[in-house]
Amino acid sequence: MAPDPAAVRAAVAAVCDPEYPDLTIEELGMLEAVAVAGADVEVALTPTVFGCPALAMIERDVRAAAEAVPGVGRVRVTLLDEPRWSPDRIAPAARAVLAAQYTISIRGADGSVICPVCGSREVAERSAYGPTRCRSIAYCAACSNPVEVIRLTEAGERAQP
Amino acid sequence: MRTWSSLAEFESFLEEGGIVEPGDQMPEEYRLAVFRFIELHANSELMGGLCERDWIPRAPGLARKLSILAKTQDEIGHAHLLYMVAADLRVKTREEMLADLFAGRSKFHNVFHYPTLSWGDQVAIAFLVDAAALAAQQAVFKNCSYGPYRRILRRVIAEEGFHMRQGEEMLLALAEGTADQHAMFQASLDRWWWPALQLFGPPARPDDPLLRWKIKSETNDVLRDRYVQKYAPLLTDYGFTIPDPGLRYDAETRRWEMGEVDWAPLFATFRQGGPDSERRIGTARRAFEDTAWVRAALDAAAARLAGAAA
Repeated sequence: MAPDPAAVRAAVAAVCDPEYPDLTIEELGMLEAVAVAGADVEVALTPTVFGCPALAMIERDVRAAAEAVPGVGRVRVTLLDEPRWSPDRIAPAARAVLAAQYTISIRGADGSVICPVCGSREVAERSAYGPTRCRSIAYCAACSNPVEVIRLTEAGERAQP
Repeated sequence: MRTWSSLAEFESFLEEGGIVEPGDQMPEEYRLAVFRFIELHANSELMGGLCERDWIPRAPGLARKLSILAKTQDEIGHAHLLYMVAADLRVKTREEMLADLFAGRSKFHNVFHYPTLSWGDQVAIAFLVDAAALAAQQAVFKNCSYGPYRRILRRVIAEEGFHMRQGEEMLLALAEGTADQHAMFQASLDRWWWPALQLFGPPARPDDPLLRWKIKSETNDVLRDRYVQKYAPLLTDYGFTIPDPGLRYDAETRRWEMGEVDWAPLFATFRQGGPDSERRIGTARRAFEDTAWVRAALDAAAARLAGAAA
């Protein structure tokens, strides 16, 4: 009995990021493709950054999710070099959760950051290195809150104004 | 900017779940209590990061090395955030907080006053200590009345949860591994069970100000007990022995009862007199002094850019 591709897709898409337990890898733009051929499943992921310590866990969770779907045989999970992940792959609903629940912002095309707490643009970078490889540390002078900002790829950051 | 006309009014505000922000005119007692708590947390993240750093070159395999690298960055990043929030309370500047830490004048959590003697210790820390820290942080987050701290805690808790999952995986590898691996973890458990339990702090004072100011939500003892109820059976099921000769399971109450606790080691860490306190503080101080040239270079570069822009 072959697995239902939609069920496989749904199961894999619902895997949550280990560090944002209420956000799925799909919402975060990490799920590139799910292919089902007979009983075999192939999942392609785009990591936010290489060297992310959660990747192994995400791979295992994706594999477990796919294997739990009736009829699934072999599961292969690959991490893609291309296309590269970028913050604009994050779904709008997830952006709202990142802002409201986690005080995490995404830099606008003009390089500005809007404070998720008070809405001010007086947000200046304090360190390129946040607690995770995918985030930097900024600070809102208007409301005195630290804000973390999702990092672009290296090429993207070099291109910033 | 909010003001309150009396302490009683402020306390009702907290009672109703009110969140205090940096610009508010908060009572001095509240400001000091919150500052000391955040300073302790910031110091602990910095000292913890320096402890993790030791194992980057020694981790068994690339996957574990990556975990330790990431965990080190995680703790230093948290320290950075917490020192920023602490400094905004205008009790001490960041420079003053660091000076106090490196001179042994301010505190950091007991668990960072111990040496890590084997990889098993790293696993014990990732499994036991991070779990204790997570429980303590969740208890603070539940009620936390100070806005900027509460917002950071949300992320810290999410990250700590991830560390715990990694800790569980690391523990399973040893528990289901060779006899040597099993024995290594048992030796580590013998060393780390009590420090992990004592992370929750000494026996509760009935008038803990941190409960009054809606920073803590539960007493130290309640958190400690909950932890024992969860981890004593879990570790026992994995085939390990908890190093508490008085620990027993009461079949009637269906509870695990601890033996008598020796609090002397905890109080020793408060006076920087733990087994590895002096060396750890020395390492932290030297790390700061040795990187003065980096800060000087960054400041000079910033000044030059500002001059060029002028």
